[in-house]
Amino acid sequence: MRTTTTRIAGAGLAAAAAMALSVGPAFAADAWVSANLKPVAGNGVDGSGTAMVEVTDTTITVTMAANGLLPDNPHAAHIHFGAEARHECPVLSDDKNGDGHLNTTEGGPAYGDIVVSLTKTGDTSPKSGLAIDRFSTAPGGKIAYQRGSIKVSSDVAKAISAGQSVVVIHGVDYNKDGKYSGATKSDLMPSLPTEATDPALCGALRVAPAGGMHTGGGQAADGLKSGGQNEALMLVGAGALLAAAGTGAFAARRARSRA
Amino acid sequence: MSAPTGSTPEPTSPTGDRSTRRISAGVAAALAVTAVLVVIGIVALVVGLRGSPGTPAPPQPAAGGVVTAGAPATPGPSSSSPSASPGQGGTPTAGRTAGAAPGTVGIGDFLEASEPTSIEIPSIGVRSSHFVRLGIQADGTISVPGTAQEVGIYDAGPTPGQLGPAVLAAHVDTPSGVPGIFYELGRVRAGDVVTVSRRDGSHLTFTVDKVAAYRKSQFPTELVYKGDFTRAEIRLVTCGGPTDSRNEYRDNVVVFGHLSSAA
Repeated sequence: MRTTTTRIAGAGLAAAAAMALSVGPAFAADAWVSANLKPVAGNGVDGSGTAMVEVTDTTITVTMAANGLLPDNPHAAHIHFGAEARHECPVLSDDKNGDGHLNTTEGGPAYGDIVVSLTKTGDTSPKSGLAIDRFSTAPGGKIAYQRGSIKVSSDVAKAISAGQSVVVIHGVDYNKDGKYSGATKSDLMPSLPTEATDPALCGALRVAPAGGMHTGGGQAADGLKSGGQNEALMLVGAGALLAAAGTGAFAARRARSRA
Repeated sequence: MSAPTGSTPEPTSPTGDRSTRRISAGVAAALAVTAVLVVIGIVALVVGLRGSPGTPAPPQPAAGGVVTAGAPATPGPSSSSPSASPGQGGTPTAGRTAGAAPGTVGIGDFLEASEPTSIEIPSIGVRSSHFVRLGIQADGTISVPGTAQEVGIYDAGPTPGQLGPAVLAAHVDTPSGVPGIFYELGRVRAGDVVTVSRRDGSHLTFTVDKVAAYRKSQFPTELVYKGDFTRAEIRLVTCGGPTDSRNEYRDNVVVFGHLSSAA
């Protein structure tokens, strides 16, 4: 991202890569989770994104990419978590005031409170949740975000590692006028229109599937789910029937001939 | 007509209805033969289905990060060269670990989400436009496609072209040994391309960095689902290696690639 980083990478790249290969596990994060960011129900955003969070002790590194956001306007972005929350993205039935949109508060039962503010610089605590001047403005509707050394509490680290936290990018444009506007005030900060703080994209940070994949014929052992399994059973059945029919017919002829 | 059985054949002859009830010694012998044939037939079928030693095994990766020492045609870990050069012909291609680049070198190009509509791997003649979504099952493992001709895509991960690795999986074969859509996946080599068309009309080309086989018990979850997460990547997964007594393949063959162009 920074030129300093790329310069360092220049000569040291091969060595660093070799090191990562040989001693990688020693530096590996304790856990990592990833999310598929999708438009928040009811909020009319035609966007998408992905996010990945690595957890090492109580420090996290966040990588996030998003498209389709209102360009050139600040987009607050957070990791949310609540012990009592559902650990997922809100659905239309969370629309308590029935206006057809979901504001940040209405999403609370789904994703909980802000636990990390994904600012570009400075503080990353919940206190910076609406530090509008330190979030990405999504040039071209796009956010490419990466930040490490973010300190969190051990409870939050645990929740993230367990796949219970949710990434939310805020900032929508209901009236399609290219800016945050409208008569409805933000539920978080009345000096802002609700467009500035309503959730745009959301994704639950989940743990990857465990183990390998059962992508062979051996899948048959798991049950009758696949077409291949049915095919095998039918072959067995056909074989049995053929054999039985053949000799059975002989037995029948023998029986008849004795009558 | 109802299914015939060995013990109560039903001749259609009008004179046969009573005689069939008398079981003579000759008929009994014939019935015994029937039973034996049935057993032999079933055993043969089962053996056939499970894949006898003569059954051709699906191709395996030539080399590269293989952690399946002892597997047929899968040499152990090779010394890794950081370059993945295309067109090395029959020589084993050295493994290049996707994601080996040091962390914060920035985020590469990525696209918005869009479902794949077709996938093509020209080097092994694979083309498919049948996709299914794969989720996580109650036991924490990923689901697999219901048939051997579908390609599954891990639904909680990126679609091809988004930042991070899009994970696609398909069966290597059916329980009866009929090749699946990814039967030849082990033949893919570093430098080959995988093309993906998407619903939004885009056509993406991924370049293969590495092809490797891993024991399922040592599945590289992080390499497959995380990668270095600073570029758009693709993973193609199927089964490989020897099968056990339950006809379960020991290994997963994984193709690692990254987005090299989008149009």
